[in-house]
Formats: sequence, C-alpha cells, structure tokens
Amino acid sequence: MNMSVYGMLLVSSLAIGSIYGLIALGYALIYKSSGLLSFTQGDILTLGAYLGLTFYSILGIPFAISLLLTMACAFVLGILLEKGVIRQLLNKNVGAIYVVLATIAISYIIQNGSQLAWGTIQLNFPSVFPVQNVNIFGVNVRPEALMCFIVSIALMIILHFFMTKTRFGTSMRAASMDSMAAESLGIDVSLTTGVSWGLSAGLAAIAGMLIGPIYGVYSTLGSTIGRKGFSGAVIGGYGNMYGAMIGGLILGIVETFSASLISSTYRNLIAYALLLIFMFIKPTGIFNERAIQD
Amino acid sequence: MAPLLELKDFHYYYGNIHSVKGISLYVNEGEMVTLIGANGAGKTTTMQTISGLTSPKGIRGEIWFDGKKISGLKGHKISAMGLAHVLEGRHVFSKLTVEENLTMGAFMRKDTKNIKSDMDGVYKRFPRLLERKTQLAGTLSGGEQQMLAIGRALMARPKMILLDEPSLGLSPKITKEVFAAIKEINKEDGITVFFVEQNSKIALNTASRGYVMQTGEMVIEDTCENLMSNADVQKAYLGGE
Ligand SMILES: Nc1ncnc2c1ncn2[C@@H]1O[C@H](COP(=O)(O)OP(=O)(O)O)[C@@H](O)[C@H]1O
Ligand SMILES: [Mg+2]
Repeated sequence: MNMSVYGMLLVSSLAIGSIYGLIALGYALIYKSSGLLSFTQGDILTLGAYLGLTFYSILGIPFAISLLLTMACAFVLGILLEKGVIRQLLNKNVGAIYVVLATIAISYIIQNGSQLAWGTIQLNFPSVFPVQNVNIFGVNVRPEALMCFIVSIALMIILHFFMTKTRFGTSMRAASMDSMAAESLGIDVSLTTGVSWGLSAGLAAIAGMLIGPIYGVYSTLGSTIGRKGFSGAVIGGYGNMYGAMIGGLILGIVETFSASLISSTYRNLIAYALLLIFMFIKPTGIFNERAIQD
Repeated sequence: MAPLLELKDFHYYYGNIHSVKGISLYVNEGEMVTLIGANGAGKTTTMQTISGLTSPKGIRGEIWFDGKKISGLKGHKISAMGLAHVLEGRHVFSKLTVEENLTMGAFMRKDTKNIKSDMDGVYKRFPRLLERKTQLAGTLSGGEQQMLAIGRALMARPKMILLDEPSLGLSPKITKEVFAAIKEINKEDGITVFFVEQNSKIALNTASRGYVMQTGEMVIEDTCENLMSNADVQKAYLGGE
C-alpha cells in the first residue's frame, strides 16, 4: 500500500472517530450532570440525520442553517427528555437502573418513530460540496469526511471554552461536582442538568447530520455508532469530556485501520475487544476517571 | 420589627422519620446566634431546610426570611434573596480552582464590576487563599477549604450567613482563626450570622444568643452568658460536672 492509501484511511478514521467522540461527549455530559447512563444518544443521532436531511434536501435550507436548526430541535428534545421523563422517574425514587431502562425504551421509540416518519428505505443524503474529492498533500479526500472531522473538532473546542471560560459553563461543572453546594449559591441545578441533556442531544444530532452524507440515512444508523461512542467514552475515561474525544478518535483509528489492514469482518470484534481490554486493564480510561470503579 | 429569620413550629420528615419535631426560633438582623446539640439532633436538617436544600415534601410549619415565607422555595431562589449557607463538610468544588470557586459564589450577582474588588476583600481576609488562587480546591487543607467555603458564601454579598459546623475536623489553632473571621463578618460587615457548632464552648463564647436541640426538639434557648452558667448545659455540652 502506498502513502496516499494510508492518508485516506487516516481521514476516514478521523471522520468516524470524531463522530464517536461527539457521541461520547454526550455520554460524559449526561453522566456528569445526572450520574446516569442514557442509551438515547445513538437514536438521537439517527433523528438528527433525518432532520438534517429534511431541512437541507427536502426544504432546501442551506447546510449550515440546517445544522443549527437540527441542533436546536435536538437540544429541546434533550431538555424535554430530562424534564419530562428522567426527572419524573427520579422524583418517584425509582432506582437508577430503571431510569437507564427507560432510556432504552425511549431509544426504540425514537428509532421506530423515525421509521414511521421517514420510512424504512435507506435515504440518500445529497452531497454538500460540488466536488467529489479534494486533494490534500497528495491524498484524495471526500470533502464531507473532512467536514465531519473539522466541524466535530470545532464543536469540541467551543464546548471546552463554554464549559471553562463562561460563567454558565463553569456553573454546569460546579453543579455536576456538588449539586447541593451549587444550589446554595444560587445556581439553578435543574436548569444546568436540563442544559447538559440538551447539549448531549444537540451534539448527537449534529453528528448524525455530519455522517449522513457519508453513510446514508436509515433508521438503525445510530445503533452501532451509539454503542461505539459509548466504548469511546469508556476508553477515554467515562465522564471525562477530553477523554471522550480522545477515546472516540482512538476507536475510529483502530477500527478503520484494522478493518482495512486485517479484514473488515473483524471491524466490530476489534473495536469491542479494545473496550474489554480497557475495562480489565484500565477501567478508569486514559483520563483516569473514577466513574467505572465507584 | 420582625426578625430577619424565623421558624414557626417547624417539623421535618425524611419519609416516615420525624427528624425535627416542632421547633421555633428567630434571628434578628445583625445578631450572631448559635444552635448547639448532640449528633443527630436535627441541626443540619434544620439549616439545610432553611436554605431550601432538602426535599420540600418533608416540611411542616413555616420558615420566614426577610419578610417572606420561604419554606418550600427552591434553594437557588432562597440564595438569591440574600441567604448564604456554608455547608457542613465545606462542599468546595474540588475540581475548580480557588478563584473559580469564589466566582461561583457571585454566580447570581448582577453588579459584575464589583465582583473583582469583593474577591480582593476575601483574599485580604484569608491571605492563604490568595497564595493558592490557581490551585484546585480539592488540594487545599481542611482549614483552607473552610476559609474558601466562607469566602465563597461572602461573594454573594448576603444579608445573612448560615454556617454548619465550621470547626469540623480543624485543629484548635485553625478553629480560632476561622471563628475570628466569622466574628469579623458579623461585627465589621454587619452580616447576620446563625451557626451550628459541635464545639459548644467556642460557640457560646462567640455568639450572643443560643438554642439547644436534643433529638429533634428545642430544649433550651437563652443568652450565651446564661447558657454557659446553666448546669444542664454545662453537664451535657461543656464537659462540666
Ligand atoms: N437524608 C436523610 N434521610 C433520612 N434520615 C436522615 C437524613 N439526614 C438526616 N437524617 C436523620 O435525621 C436526624 C437528624 O440528622 P441531622 O440533621 O444530620 O443532625 P445533626 O446535624 O444535628 O447531627 C438523624 O436521626 C439522621 O439520621
Ligand atoms: Mg450536622
């Protein structure tokens, strides 16, 4: 194999890896704010892909604006999910495992609901750019794959600045560290938690709209990606924002290269074996988060 | 004039557990009042319910602050009315820096331009915090964390501060320092103070009036001077004969 093949592999692994990273970031936000695992991430990605397709291709809205609209819809959905379902269940003092089960139920409802709305046939997400390939350092790259990576990284950087440099973002971190202290200082913890769920959903939906042009849009699009995103979150250190990004990227690189260099049959086997290896050898992940051990 | 804080026949239930059994108390503006009692008496429950940090389902009776009924309101709403709370066990944000912790204390203030000078005020009062302002709060010693928790509460410019066991786990020397600061906050800044303390001796020496709780009930209330000479109090809380 020559260098340009490696270059292409690298770009596609960074593209899918950053999608895993966005999903993993959502798992981290939800875990930090509510101490819960939500299995809705993957199906919100699917919904995001369908919504994006609808705005962009059916309604003819420019791609960037479609992306923002998709994110806004998912943001509201995430807040409604937390306020309407999760919080209500927690108020009934049900165990955390029931809440997690409820998120699985919701994920199937979203998946089936999308089938109902958009049908069962795989839809084609039209290209975003007029060219098929761009040439970077002698490597031919699909511009959509490049966009996937660049937009994801940009979102991660924006989120980092929001969480560390703004007062509201800092208050979200404070509330996730110690909700009682946060509330006693005038931070509306119910609001910060809702916003965390909203952001998680928004990131997942954007991921769907970014991957749509590459993978096509179908109702189980997010199922595998959701699980891989979860693996990425564990590998990085469950609950750690930076670990989520790194874990997602590592997973994308490992599975893409091994699928190509070994055999694509083993793509999932290798990805999940990596997850298990981390669970046994380093359960706190790369960023040493205590979540899994506690 | 009505008291700044008043509890009227206040009860608290954790589910079926009747933890506070009908207590009444008041704190006037500018006062420094203490609440003492053995472990499990219901002091923390009382303090946290005043601040809206327990589930409102368990409340019976009424809590009034600054002329308004606050029992049942959410914590962040009560905090915004000018009631700060230094929680038992300090509760600093361990993975935020000292400075970020202080910023969070000023979270709901609108007068953002005064926040910097108030922060300097906190650093002046607790110079150890200035030296450590970029350090994560979780890496501070117990005494420094307590100072940070107090400083963070002051950043809200409250009318009143509740403190729950400020001496918990601190050496006698640091305890003295912390109580000197609490006295200053009351005398110099004019902030009303109501605090819970296991160390009854230092509590009665610091405050002007005191309440004594026992297994959910209020058993004595008096000036600290009288409480110190009260035989029952001496026997139960001051280690006297
Ligand atoms: N979250 C809770 N759930 C159930 N019971 C509680 C809870 N918190 C405190 N209690 C009970 O309420 C009583 C008073 O506790 P607390 O207010 O912490 O007392 P103190 O601060 O005076 O030591 C104790 O019997 C304690 O076991
Ligand atoms: Mg207590």
